[in-house]
Amino acid sequence: MSTLDESPLLGRVRETRAGRLVFPTTERGRKRRRIAALAVPFFALATFGAFIPLVKMFRISVAEQFLYEVQGWSLGPYRRLFASIAAFIPVVGTDLSAAIAVGGEAVNPVYGETIWNSLWFGAVTTVASVAVGIALAHGLEKYDLPRKGLLVTLISFPISLPGIVAAFMMIVLFGQTGLLTNFFAVLSGAQPVDLQLTGQPSGTTLAVLGLFFGYIYSMIPRATLLLRGTYAEVNTDAEEAARALGATPLQTFRYVTLPQIRPGIVGALILTFRTALAIFGTVLVLKSLSVVTFRFDQLVKVGYELNIASALAAVFFLFTVLFTFLSLRYTSAEVAR
Amino acid sequence: MSTPDADGAVTGAVPDREPGRLGRLSARYGRALVTALILVTVVFLIGPVLVTFVASFFQNWTGLFPSGGLTLQNWAQALGIADTVGAARGLGGFWTFVAPDVLFVLQLPLLPDLTLYFPFDFYIQTPIPMALGFSVLLALLGVLINLLVGVPVAYAVTRYDFRGRRLMNTFAVLPIVPGIILGIAFLKTYPGLPSVIALVLGYSLLKIPYMVLAVQSSFESMDLRQMEESARSLGASWTTTFLRVIVPGAKQGIISGSIICWTLAAAEFNFSYVVYSSGPRPFSLFLFENISNNPFLRAAAAISIYFVIVAAVTALLNYVGENGFSVGGVR
Repeated sequence: MSTLDESPLLGRVRETRAGRLVFPTTERGRKRRRIAALAVPFFALATFGAFIPLVKMFRISVAEQFLYEVQGWSLGPYRRLFASIAAFIPVVGTDLSAAIAVGGEAVNPVYGETIWNSLWFGAVTTVASVAVGIALAHGLEKYDLPRKGLLVTLISFPISLPGIVAAFMMIVLFGQTGLLTNFFAVLSGAQPVDLQLTGQPSGTTLAVLGLFFGYIYSMIPRATLLLRGTYAEVNTDAEEAARALGATPLQTFRYVTLPQIRPGIVGALILTFRTALAIFGTVLVLKSLSVVTFRFDQLVKVGYELNIASALAAVFFLFTVLFTFLSLRYTSAEVAR
Repeated sequence: MSTPDADGAVTGAVPDREPGRLGRLSARYGRALVTALILVTVVFLIGPVLVTFVASFFQNWTGLFPSGGLTLQNWAQALGIADTVGAARGLGGFWTFVAPDVLFVLQLPLLPDLTLYFPFDFYIQTPIPMALGFSVLLALLGVLINLLVGVPVAYAVTRYDFRGRRLMNTFAVLPIVPGIILGIAFLKTYPGLPSVIALVLGYSLLKIPYMVLAVQSSFESMDLRQMEESARSLGASWTTTFLRVIVPGAKQGIISGSIICWTLAAAEFNFSYVVYSSGPRPFSLFLFENISNNPFLRAAAAISIYFVIVAAVTALLNYVGENGFSVGGVR
């Protein structure tokens, strides 16, 4: 088709910027069109699958009514949420929450508590998982272990298991009829009821310990695999030189290996902490500690307080996104090259 | 604190030449300790899986050892094929295909309608439990979307350099939205949408990073530019080059990415739990119901169904050339 028999309208469309993207005339333009075409499906999925629903969620979090139609504007849910979070802060909390809740919203410190629980428990499990992950990645990379492929397969197996199954694994190990519970009961002569880590009242030390194992069951495999990628790039010549010059294995690790894998460790910490924040199924089954994700279940399924749930979800989502992006940006962590 | 400077040389405190006690201890026992830790971890991760599987074949299990005889009852009830009340909670009977009564109606002008009846009355009862079959299909649809979305994006960010490439890459390989948040966001967004479509949309969005990572690792091992230019200089159009040279070259990444995405989508729980309202139940909700309301051994059987699936998938992955799920480390 030559340019002569085109309608003037089509010719005018081709002059515009979008038109130049669709009907390029240069090789550079064609390359641009290819990149755009390759990215279109992804943007479509991201728009319909994430962007529109999230915008709707933000809208509900500032709506007056949401039961039949989303209508009106109100900052009530946020005021209530932040006042409740403030109420949990020791010393200055009461005054601060009174200052925020100007509309007389019902203040409930439970939100502050769940957020605090999510943060501290996530941090503890993250540090534990990454520490074990470093040791595992180190051993898998440096030692000549037999059946290494099989070991990697076995360690990565739990990645495919949902959180509810991880929780059931904990019941198998630590429940009242659990393997380890009964093993230690036989050894110590105590009753299994006093030793079981699952099924204990929520918030007790034993229950939280059981949940801790449930978390690291899901997190160790991920941390290990992230760190394996880091270890694969370590310069082994420097390590061998250090050993040849008389450094102990510990000194070699401390002064040669560690500086090289530090960015990878930071990246693994960030992403594993993200995983910890998002764990839900494990908590839903074990019910040992009220974290934010568990609170969502209470709000959505039990109370249908969708506006405050959306406000909490919005805060939680913004926190995770900002945390992930800023920390990956301002540390030298290398995750996605 | 010692940090390597630009040359990679360590500045700061010079380490002692003489190893201290800790150094001597680590030299002697360090390797044994780390190896032991690897073994303990593997036992911690895999031990309960094996115990669950074995336990599902026994009549009782209290304490350290199983008792009673071997039985298939737990499995029969979990699969929903036993004639008990509990079986109604199983996987919802088998998928049955019933042949249509009327094959089709031929409408011709000026003639009476011609109805073709199916010659005989027959139905096929597949040995596939309902919830399982449903989840298999849902996850397959999710994988299909992931392929259509993930492969082009992986190619774009690996082959081309453009403004915003790094940002796009980050969005594609990092799971931005946690499943439970996405579930809450979906609750009011598409009210008229059947659960099925919402679930597929969510699955494909949540699992896209695994697909992109797997396909990217394949693309990165290929000389994309050279392949593309050779094919183009031999007269292939860009589209033909992409579909018939580039994509087949990344076969391993595409296959392993699909397998991983399928497995993770088939058992996706957090999102399904919030979003599911009506229609056939996803498999993960069936697992949850078993874990929370059923006797221990039947729950063990229900979970073992999933273990069998994952074991098969892992074997498949190893056959393709991956060590289990080690492709999807980022989450």
